[in-house]
Amino acid sequence: MGFRKVLVAVSAAAIATLAVADDDPRHVRHELMEDVGDAARVLGGMLKGERPYDAEAAMASLKTWEDVSMRFGDLFPEGSESGEGTEAAPAIWEDRGGFNAALGDWQDAIAAAVAADAATLDEAKPLLGAAFQTCKGCHDTYRIADE
Amino acid sequence: MRRTLVALAVLLAPTVPAAPARAPLPDHVPDPAAGELAFWLGGCASCHATPVDGKRARGEDKLLLGGGMDLPSPYGTFVVPNISPHEDGIGGWSMPEFVDAMQRGVAPDGRHYYPSFPYASYVKADVKDIMDLKAYLDTLPAVPGRSADHSLRFPWSVRRGIGMWKRRNLDASPVIEFDGQDPLLERGRALVEGLGHCGECHTPRRRFGGLETDRWLAWAPNPEGEGRIPNITPAGKNVRDWSAADIAYYLGSGFTPDFDTVGGSMVAVQENLARLPADDLQAIAAYLKAVPAVE
Repeated sequence: MGFRKVLVAVSAAAIATLAVADDDPRHVRHELMEDVGDAARVLGGMLKGERPYDAEAAMASLKTWEDVSMRFGDLFPEGSESGEGTEAAPAIWEDRGGFNAALGDWQDAIAAAVAADAATLDEAKPLLGAAFQTCKGCHDTYRIADE
Repeated sequence: MRRTLVALAVLLAPTVPAAPARAPLPDHVPDPAAGELAFWLGGCASCHATPVDGKRARGEDKLLLGGGMDLPSPYGTFVVPNISPHEDGIGGWSMPEFVDAMQRGVAPDGRHYYPSFPYASYVKADVKDIMDLKAYLDTLPAVPGRSADHSLRFPWSVRRGIGMWKRRNLDASPVIEFDGQDPLLERGRALVEGLGHCGECHTPRRRFGGLETDRWLAWAPNPEGEGRIPNITPAGKNVRDWSAADIAYYLGSGFTPDFDTVGGSMVAVQENLARLPADDLQAIAAYLKAVPAVE
């Protein structure tokens, strides 16, 4: 086997490993929550008064949330309950109906905020506030606390 | 015989309810609206609200204070009593009886309460806040039913030792002394050291359960399981890295400066604190920024 072939084989193996890792629902949902966190910093900063309200940036962040919220429910298959540092709580598998309802609350709150397309902070505040409350509502029960 | 009597007297001495006779209550008209804030600050419902289907009460159920929750501890299991205004709870108690319970850990019949009821913190609160609290509790629904007895291991099952414990641990003076008189810090101190009883979880305990005040708020093992209750002195990463405004915002909203959500046993505490006015949350934040940093 020539050097080039080895290189190709090694690269292929590396890519395959990466692909497997990237498909792992524990990784995917972690990455998606990081995106959600980035969007939350934008929206939360406006809500808290740390940055001026910007309707365009708010909408972009809401769209990130919307996209993740639609994919999120499929990322908790049997067998992904633990490992890889997951913070998913056993309650997700023990009470899937409750988890789906909590996820639905988030989707509903996002849909309301997207539909309103608020032009001012005063208009956006109650809608974003409600959406942020759904974060808390779900994390309280379905995420393990890292104390 | 005489020797026996002396021995008996020595043995029984600590059972006589805590040291000095109480001061007369101040001339204060109890205000139930102010008492409601004291109620949330004290987190009374977190322990005393009757669990629903084995889970912590939520929403309006937090106002049904029939007790019954188990509190596991290294000493055995404490069972939280009824503090609703029913005769099975605190119905019919006089104001001095209520204040004695809250600040001296003594029941109307003279028995000592175990310090799982955090009167060693409440003794540092303003007695007027305690009086307001009773006025508020008296407005809540009367819930019948007495809780089961605590099931503690010997020798903790003997209440006599509690008198001794109080001599060392029941102290109305502040834990942290500040130079000068800053009203914001003093308010924060009253909230954190007194009714808020933050030290009960965030400060480690000595043998026999007294708080190690040299390590005030500097983290402690989680009494409910694994992990630890975080350091909330300026040596802890959150109080160090967050501004006072961030801390106040977190306590009011449940969101960290990164807009992650509050977790674990702090969820219930934060939801209670969210009921306080913004300036009280700022006072708590200012106090936490000002206490000695302990690694």
